[in-house]
Amino acid sequence: MTKIDCEHVVDYLNGTLTDEDLHAFEEHLKTCADCRQIVELTGELPYLAEPIEPPIGMKARILTNVFEEEVKEKLQSEPKPKPKPATVPVIKPKAKRNWWTPLIAAVLLMSLIGNAYAFLKLSDQQEPETALREVDLQPSEAFNGTGQARLIREDGALDVVVSTAGLEDLQGDEIYQVWLLKEGQPIPAGAFSPNPDGEGAAYFSLKENTEGWDTIAITREPNAGNQSPQGNIVLSSEL
Amino acid sequence: MEKSSDFMLYGRIQRQDKAALEELYDRYEKILFSFLVKMTEDPDLAEEALQEVFIKLWRGKGEYDESKGKFTSWLFTMARNVAIDLIRKRKKPSVPLEEVGDLVNTDSSVEELAEWQEQKEQIETAVQELSDDQQKMIQLFYFKGYTHETIAGICGIPLGTVKSRIRLALKKLKKSLHGVQERGAIDD
Repeated sequence: MTKIDCEHVVDYLNGTLTDEDLHAFEEHLKTCADCRQIVELTGELPYLAEPIEPPIGMKARILTNVFEEEVKEKLQSEPKPKPKPATVPVIKPKAKRNWWTPLIAAVLLMSLIGNAYAFLKLSDQQEPETALREVDLQPSEAFNGTGQARLIREDGALDVVVSTAGLEDLQGDEIYQVWLLKEGQPIPAGAFSPNPDGEGAAYFSLKENTEGWDTIAITREPNAGNQSPQGNIVLSSEL
Repeated sequence: MEKSSDFMLYGRIQRQDKAALEELYDRYEKILFSFLVKMTEDPDLAEEALQEVFIKLWRGKGEYDESKGKFTSWLFTMARNVAIDLIRKRKKPSVPLEEVGDLVNTDSSVEELAEWQEQKEQIETAVQELSDDQQKMIQLFYFKGYTHETIAGICGIPLGTVKSRIRLALKKLKKSLHGVQERGAIDD
């Protein structure tokens, strides 16, 4: 084993120590204030970077891939309890692939993983039903833009994924807010700001009170967090 | 509602709590992405690195504990090492950032930017207190992830002294930053 001293802090930061040396250096860290301070500094150095707004859609892409890795691993490492066709009767959307497809994929994948777990744990349980419904959102007068809403009912929950294009830029604190309405009574169901190309997407999951919604609408709200609409309806559709 | 601590979130992630991973993602997406773009000079590669970071977190088996210092230090160090790996494997030349401006939009909440700006100003002030050579050392080692051989070549110094020079530059920077932060606290 190498003699571990302060010089090794550089190797520690580079992750190039062997397991044995790493363990020794971690012991050294406990007693060496200098090295601890250098390690602590690495929690602050990244702030030298210019703030860059993450690309829209990156979160959905990354989380989908992270959870997909897990599914692959599970499939490789665990034998299936029983051979069976697809775990979930997911209806594949026929529409052309859009830039926001990964968001749908993320939602469906979460469902799939959830179902796979439930299936593995309770093999005698009935398969949960998944239903996917898609509606086109119509622009109100004086507004441009198009949109689609997908409602995914699965395992008692209702997931709402909205995607839009051609929306006007927002000013100040404004935000596009999605609402679900039942007999004229709205609840907020996700909000978003469009990207510079006017495209936006929102995802919302409803665990309770999932039945009976008759309308979906998007308003342009003066600020985020309103519990009832204050702005004008931009896009809407009956359900 | 009080934000759960990073350590608590990490614990939930180890128990395969997807919501916790998403919360941690939201908390650090922007700083990690900005940092990774600075390192890789390539938003696509930065996204690849960020994904790798979260795959590691999701699969992680008890790697982080509080004896290893602040969670952010550990997380950023892990991200940096992922980026260095990808930079070294990268075949294509990096795209100059000016040409990829369309991929990103720059609006952020004012509050978030102000917080970032304050931290950035503090560390920039601290960096300016270093000698030119020390600043260069931090840029080449920390942000560029160059090997010791490359750094020795660029700086024209013996290979055997690279490590200790990096260490001294980092140590000096931490000391300066501490001074800047204390002065800031007194001004407030």
